[in-house]
Amino acid sequence: METRENCCPTALGDVRVLDLADQKGNYCTKLLADLGADVLKIEPPGGDPTREIGPYVGDEPHPERSLYFFHFNTSKRSITLNIEKPEGRAIFRRLVERADVLVETYQPGYLDGLGLGYEALRELNRGLIMTSITGFGQTGPYRDYKSCDIVATAMGGLMSLTGFPEDPPVRPGASQGNHQAAILGAAGTMVALYDRDITGLGRHVDISMQEGMALTIIQSATQYYDLYGILHKRFGEFSPLGVPGARVIFPCRDGWVTFTPYNLNVPGGRWEELVEWMDSEGMAGDLKDEKWSDVWYLFNHISEAQETLARFLQRKTKQEIYEGAQSRGMLSMPVNTTADLLADVQLQARGFFVAVDHSELDRTLTYPGAPYRLTETPWRIARRAPLIGEHNQQVYEGELGYSARELDLLRAEGII
Amino acid sequence: MGSRLPLEGVRILDFFWQAAGPLASRTFAHFGAEVIRVESSTRPCTLRTTGARAPDREGLNVCHIFNNLNTNKLSIALNLNHPRGLAIAKRLVALCDVVTNSFTGDRMERWGLGYEELVKVKPDIIMITMPVLGATGPYRHYRAWGSHIIAGGGLNYLTGMPGRPPTGIGTLYSDFSANPFHAVVATMAALRHRNRTGRGQFIDVAQYESTICFAETAILDYTVNHRVQGPNGNRLPYAAPHGVYRCQGDDRWCAIGVFTEDEWKAFTSAIGSPDWTQEERFASLPGRKQHEDELDRLVEEWTSERTPEAVMATLQAAGVAAGIVQTAEDLLTRDPQMRERHYRVLEHPEMPPMNYDGQPIKMTDAPVELRRAPLLGEHNDYIYRELLGLAEAEINDYMIAGVFE
Repeated sequence: METRENCCPTALGDVRVLDLADQKGNYCTKLLADLGADVLKIEPPGGDPTREIGPYVGDEPHPERSLYFFHFNTSKRSITLNIEKPEGRAIFRRLVERADVLVETYQPGYLDGLGLGYEALRELNRGLIMTSITGFGQTGPYRDYKSCDIVATAMGGLMSLTGFPEDPPVRPGASQGNHQAAILGAAGTMVALYDRDITGLGRHVDISMQEGMALTIIQSATQYYDLYGILHKRFGEFSPLGVPGARVIFPCRDGWVTFTPYNLNVPGGRWEELVEWMDSEGMAGDLKDEKWSDVWYLFNHISEAQETLARFLQRKTKQEIYEGAQSRGMLSMPVNTTADLLADVQLQARGFFVAVDHSELDRTLTYPGAPYRLTETPWRIARRAPLIGEHNQQVYEGELGYSARELDLLRAEGII
Repeated sequence: MGSRLPLEGVRILDFFWQAAGPLASRTFAHFGAEVIRVESSTRPCTLRTTGARAPDREGLNVCHIFNNLNTNKLSIALNLNHPRGLAIAKRLVALCDVVTNSFTGDRMERWGLGYEELVKVKPDIIMITMPVLGATGPYRHYRAWGSHIIAGGGLNYLTGMPGRPPTGIGTLYSDFSANPFHAVVATMAALRHRNRTGRGQFIDVAQYESTICFAETAILDYTVNHRVQGPNGNRLPYAAPHGVYRCQGDDRWCAIGVFTEDEWKAFTSAIGSPDWTQEERFASLPGRKQHEDELDRLVEEWTSERTPEAVMATLQAAGVAAGIVQTAEDLLTRDPQMRERHYRVLEHPEMPPMNYDGQPIKMTDAPVELRRAPLLGEHNDYIYRELLGLAEAEINDYMIAGVFE
């Protein structure tokens, strides 16, 4: 499970990315970097603000110990550069000339104001793909509105469906607004890059966090309103689809599981098998009665049936339910904690978690691994996230031809 | 310069079904790829049969979720359980760049369409599969829907109010986020590699693993700090006020996020600088975090006297991130941004006009136009006659034999 740079061909090894993305886009540039792109994380002198987001190694806040920064900046290099200063922008333009992709998350108009908008940069490099990820996109009446993950999930409708009806709406955990916007940015970048390879011409990719979130509610909310005028709201532990009143989440002995037992003439339901399983432990209640085998009776009395089911599941552990259900062809997965994930035999067999060397900490840390497996151009973590400006010398001296003395001057003037 | 769609010339033989796969292939179709859905009326996609349908409509073309997820695609009816269906499928593979699959288990292999077979037909073929738990491993035959996968992937446990049971994310979330778009990224990587080297490849997107990759710092916090992250409600360690606040109206709320001291000053000024905002204890982030319950109560005193629309307008005018907790009704009927950028009303021969979701990935010089989803087998003629060049008599023969249904 070691990581080596360039151990095998990569999909994006010939691609140079300039990374000006914050939380709205750092997963986008991580995806590109882990597929082999040379991603230059451009940090303000002093370090990127996302280094101030925890948790931290050993809970010690420090810009070089942020697990948030570590996770989202695998495989990247770092240079410091102050684009607010004219000299900094001049250097940036030189970098743009030799770049393939620029990813940024500033308010629409900010880079234009600095003379670094798409129209200006396209003059320097016709093949540049500029990917802008913002709260509401580059156009429209809300384009200048400020956003962040909680505002995107609110304005995109996903928050209206999350949580218990008697509680306030709740933000999905782990910043889904940021992730969704960023992955759409990566997908758009890849589509534009495919065509750039053929025509030599780049494009400006425009992603709205709000639209990304709105895409996720089409099956469980938007279509019901459009078709029937029915407004779905927070579902709690119930299913957003299928039989009204059908639960998805059940408590069990050591936590919770998701479980979908009923057959809606779709593959996956195993009602008779379920009753047999419960009965083999004397827990079937009256579910063996003839009436329950009528699917419409079941649908109309689902909460009654679920009480019996809940009693059955309550006695078992997550793992017992998971294996017992799946071996009988039923749809179920536990509500896994991260401890459960690290112990999961499937993930272990797949080698999902990867070790990344952090020599600066004198440690190896275990990271989540590949979201996809490609046989010829596999995903890999080339290196740990960079230290602040770790590659200034490599890039500014080695590539752009500055002398060490010139770099000292640039540093003193706060340009790098 | 002319505007050509970026994926013009790419042809995809699409065995994706349900939601996650089709949302991926919808992306390719929108950007100009020719996406050929291989379907059969003998075993139609469940989203053609069990999705919510327009009132008083029947048949295989009237479920809105299917029509929404499959805009811009073509559909052929091909019965792969018929012995002569396989040869047709292979002839199509020979003309395609990518073959997609989201059946769990070895359905494609049993049909004779596994990667090893496809490579014999077209050596540089790209095959992408999206099983639930992966193409390998002891649980590779397990099945699950999006509502289970997000739980298995750890996202449910991270969602909710502290001290309350987990609730899920109100939708089959991973089907519309991590899974389709990781598949898009991977497929594009493979296509690019193929163009540059002439080599295809096999791609396995385990929906479980793909979903776990959306868990932010949860894994590292456990492996490094031995901490099992749980739900944090609407709070963030590095912002305050940050949360959801009740507004005027029935179950109406507004989300607010204040991250910097400049934003805090703008916020206090926007709400009229009441005395409490000048208290020392709220002057910095650490202080606001320490007194967050009181802070939230005071903010809610202000919001609860206003509609969420007024709260959002007032705070946004001051440069503070704020947004109505919108419902589907808000999105479809009251949101000008979504109407301009996202929803399009399309006609359909068997459905009333409906709102369809546009392509959230926008780019210059790529005029994406939504075209309605195909009826089952609608493009039999184009594919079998024009693309494959089958003669009239041959096609009739296949139809009588039940191959093209």
